[in-house]
Amino acid sequence: MTDPLDGRGDPRDGDDAVRGAAPPATDPPRPTAPARLGPSPALAVSFLLPAAVLLGALVMYPIAYSVVRSLYDAGGDGFVGLENYTAIFTDPDTLVTIRNNVIWVVVAPIVVTVIGLIFAVLTERIRWGTAFKLVVFMPMAVSLLASGVIFRLVYEQDPDRGVANAVITTVADVFRSNTGYPGARPRENDLAPATVADGAVVLRQPTQPGQSVLFPLVGLNRESLPADETPAAGAPARPGEITGTVWLDFTPGSPGAVNTIDSAEKGLGGVSVEAVAGGKVAGTAVTEPNGTFAITGLAPGSYTVRLPAANFEAPFNGLTWLGPTLITPAIIGAYIWVWAGFAMVLIAAGLAAIPRDALEAARIDGATEWQVFRKITVPLLSPVLLVVFVTMIINVLKVFDLVFIIAPGSVQPDANVIALEMWRVSFGGGGNQGLGSALAIFLLVLVLPFMFFNVRRFRREQ
Amino acid sequence: MASIVLRGVDKIYAGGVKAVNGLDLEIKDGEFMVLVGPSGCGKSTALRMIAGLEDISGGEIHIGDKVVNHLPPKDRDIAMVFQNYALYPHMTVEENLAFGLKLRKMPKAEIQRRVVEAANMLGLEGYLKRKPAALSGGQRQRVAMGRAIVREPRAFLMDEPLSNLDAKLRVSMRASLNQLHERLGVTTVYVTHDQVEAMTLGDRVCVLKDGVLQQVDTPQNLFDRPVNLFVAGFMGSPAMNFVTADLVRDGIAFANYRLPIPASTFTDKPGLGDYIGRKLIVGVRPSDFEDARSANGHNEGWARIPVRVSVTEELGSEINVLFTIDAPPVMHKDALALAQDAAGDEADGSLPLGGGKSLWTARVNSRSQVRPNQDLELVVDTHNLHFFDPESGLAIGHPANVRG
Repeated sequence: MTDPLDGRGDPRDGDDAVRGAAPPATDPPRPTAPARLGPSPALAVSFLLPAAVLLGALVMYPIAYSVVRSLYDAGGDGFVGLENYTAIFTDPDTLVTIRNNVIWVVVAPIVVTVIGLIFAVLTERIRWGTAFKLVVFMPMAVSLLASGVIFRLVYEQDPDRGVANAVITTVADVFRSNTGYPGARPRENDLAPATVADGAVVLRQPTQPGQSVLFPLVGLNRESLPADETPAAGAPARPGEITGTVWLDFTPGSPGAVNTIDSAEKGLGGVSVEAVAGGKVAGTAVTEPNGTFAITGLAPGSYTVRLPAANFEAPFNGLTWLGPTLITPAIIGAYIWVWAGFAMVLIAAGLAAIPRDALEAARIDGATEWQVFRKITVPLLSPVLLVVFVTMIINVLKVFDLVFIIAPGSVQPDANVIALEMWRVSFGGGGNQGLGSALAIFLLVLVLPFMFFNVRRFRREQ
Repeated sequence: MASIVLRGVDKIYAGGVKAVNGLDLEIKDGEFMVLVGPSGCGKSTALRMIAGLEDISGGEIHIGDKVVNHLPPKDRDIAMVFQNYALYPHMTVEENLAFGLKLRKMPKAEIQRRVVEAANMLGLEGYLKRKPAALSGGQRQRVAMGRAIVREPRAFLMDEPLSNLDAKLRVSMRASLNQLHERLGVTTVYVTHDQVEAMTLGDRVCVLKDGVLQQVDTPQNLFDRPVNLFVAGFMGSPAMNFVTADLVRDGIAFANYRLPIPASTFTDKPGLGDYIGRKLIVGVRPSDFEDARSANGHNEGWARIPVRVSVTEELGSEINVLFTIDAPPVMHKDALALAQDAAGDEADGSLPLGGGKSLWTARVNSRSQVRPNQDLELVVDTHNLHFFDPESGLAIGHPANVRG
C-alpha cells in the first residue's frame, strides 16, 4: 500500500519545485538576482533529498539490480542474456506455477469480492451486524503464517482431526446408511452358495418364493462388528416369501462347519437384500440383527437374490485436501477466509454511502429487493467493488505465505506460485539467484498494470 | 386513480416513540391533500406508511378498495417524489424516467412514448441523455416529477418536493405543480412544513401535531375557522397574535385596550356567552389590522387601538408592523409549541421581551408609510376575532368543538 503513496507524492514535489521557480520573470523590483516567491532550488532539493535517497536506496536500486542480476547465471559471473526468462516459460515446473497463479488470479479476487459483497449487504440488515463484521474481519488480525498453520490443521485428512473432512463426512453420512460391512465377501470356491458380481454378492442358484437361502460371508474381523450383533439364526421357509440369513460364517478358535450356521457365529444386521427378476428389483428387505431377512409380496417365479454392492462400500473418509489435485483450491479457500473480511468492511463503507432515497425510490418504482440490489446497489457500489477487486488481484499475484505453510513439502511443486518459486529458486535450496531475479521481475511486470490502475484511481478521486 | 383512506393508523417506533397516533384521513379520488405541520409531527411518517416504506403499527390503510397494510411498495401502484430527488445517479435522465416502466416489462414503444410525453410536459427534452449530476436543482426536481408521471400511478406521494429549491424556483414549481394536478387529476398526497405551500396547493389541508390530526379542511376554512390555538397559529403568515383577555358583556379587555365585540359574534359562536366574566385567549390575524388613517371608508365596527411601532418590515405592497403590548405572552402549550417551531434550530430565534410584554404583528397597507418608533393608530376588524378556551386551547364556537 505504500507504492501508491509514493507514486502520488513524487510528482507533487516536482510540481512545487516548478512553481517555486516560475515567478521570477514577473517580479521587476530587483534587477540583479532574479527574485522568487518560493524557496530557492537548493532549498527545494534539500527537502526532496531525504525522500529521494530513501526511495532510491530502498526501491529503485533493488529493482534495477534485480533486472541486472536476472541477466546473469546462478553464480552471478556469467552473462546469459534472456536465458533466465526463456527458462521461466519452458521449464515445466515454472509453467505449473504460472498456471497456478492464473487460477489464483481468476478465482480468488472474484470470490473474495462476491463474498465480501454478500456479507456487507447481509450485515447491513441484521441487528448484530457489527458483531458479525468484527468476527469476519478477525482473520485479518491473525498473521498469514498463523492462518496457514490453522488451515493445515483444518485440511487434515483424518476426519477426527481435520475440521473440513469432519464436516464433509458428517454431512455425507446423513445421506448414506453407515451400516456397511466393507471387506465382507463370500468364500471363493465353487461350494459357496454365493459369489461376487459387480461388487454385489449374488446367489448362484435362482430362488423361488417359499425357499430359505443362506449368505455365508467371511473377511470381517469379529471384533469390528458392532457389539449388539446377535448370534446368527436360521430363517424358516415361509410360503410366498424368500427368507434367509446373512451371517459371518466363521467361528474363532474352531473350524466350524462351512456354509452352515453354527451357534457361535454372528448374524450381520442392517444388510439390504434384493430379489431380482428379469433385471428389475422385485422386492427388498433389510436383515435383522441376527442376520435373518424375509422378502415378502413376491409373485411366484424365479428370482436372483443378491446383496447390493452398497453393503460393502468402504466408509467415506472425506477429501484429500492436501493432495496434488485439491491443494490449490484448498489454499484459495484459506485465502478467502483471511481476506473476505477486508473486502466486506470496504464494501460496507461503500454501502453506507449509498443514498437511502434512491433505494426507496426504486422500491416504489416497482423493483423487487433483488432488482434493487442488481440495478441500483451494485452499480452505485461499482467504484468500491473495483478498488477491492484490483487490490485483491495485486495481493493474489504475490501470494506466498499461505502456499508455503499449507502445502506439505511433497505437494509443494503442485501448489507452487510465482512468488514462492522465486524464493525457492533463490534461497530455498535452488541457489539460482539469476532465475530468482528473473521471476521477481516477471512478477513485477504482472503487478505493474494493476498498480498503475489503482494509483490513477486514487489520483482521480482526489 | 384511487382514493386513499387511513383508519386509526398508528406508528410506534422501536423505543416507544409514537410518531403517528390514530390518524383518520380520507383522501378522495383526484384530490390534492396536503399534510402540514411542524417538523417531527409525523407527516412524513404518515406519507411513508402510505407508500409502504414504513410498517404500520396499527390501523388500516386503503388505496382504492384494497387494504394495503402488508403490500410492498411495488404492488401499491403509487409514485413518490422525494425531498432530495432520489434520482438514480448512474442512469441518464431518460433511463431514470424509464426505470419503473422497464421493471413492469412495458413494450419499448410505449415506454418511449411516455418518456417523451413527460419530458415535453416538464421541459426536459434537451436533457434526456444527461446524468443527474449534470443538472441543476430545478431540473433534477422535474426529473423526479417526471419519473412519477410516466408511471401513471393511482396516486402521487410527495415528500417536501420543493424544499431544496431556491425561493423563486419554488414559487414557479408550485405553480407548475398546481397545473400538473389540474391536468392529470391524480390523487396527490403532499407533505410540507411550509404553510404557504399548503394553502396554495391543497384542495384540502390536514394539519398534524405530534402525530395527532388537528384539523382537515379547505385552506380558506382553516384560515377563517381554525379548530384550535395550534391550527390558528400555524396557518397564516405572519402568525396570528394571541393574548389572554377578560371577556365582559360587550367586549374584551386586555393590556390597556378594550375592544367591543359585535352582537353577531355571540350568535355565531355558541358558547362564547358562557365565558363572560372569565378569561379566554383572543387571537387577531395581522391582516385584520389596518392603519386608521388609510382605513377611513370602512371603520364601522372596527375598534381603534393606539400603538407604538417598534419594527417595520416593508414588503412593497404591505408593511408588517411589529409592536409590543403590555400583556404577558400566552403560555398555553400549543402557543409554546408554535414559538418553538418558529424559532427552529436557531437558539435565539426570538428576542426575549422582558416585563410581561408580548410582540404583535399588524399588516397594514404600504400607503401608511409608518416608520419605527412612531405612534400609530390601528383599527381592528372585531368581526374576525378568534376566541380560544384558555385550558384546552379549542376554538370557542367552532362547530367541531360544540357538543350536543
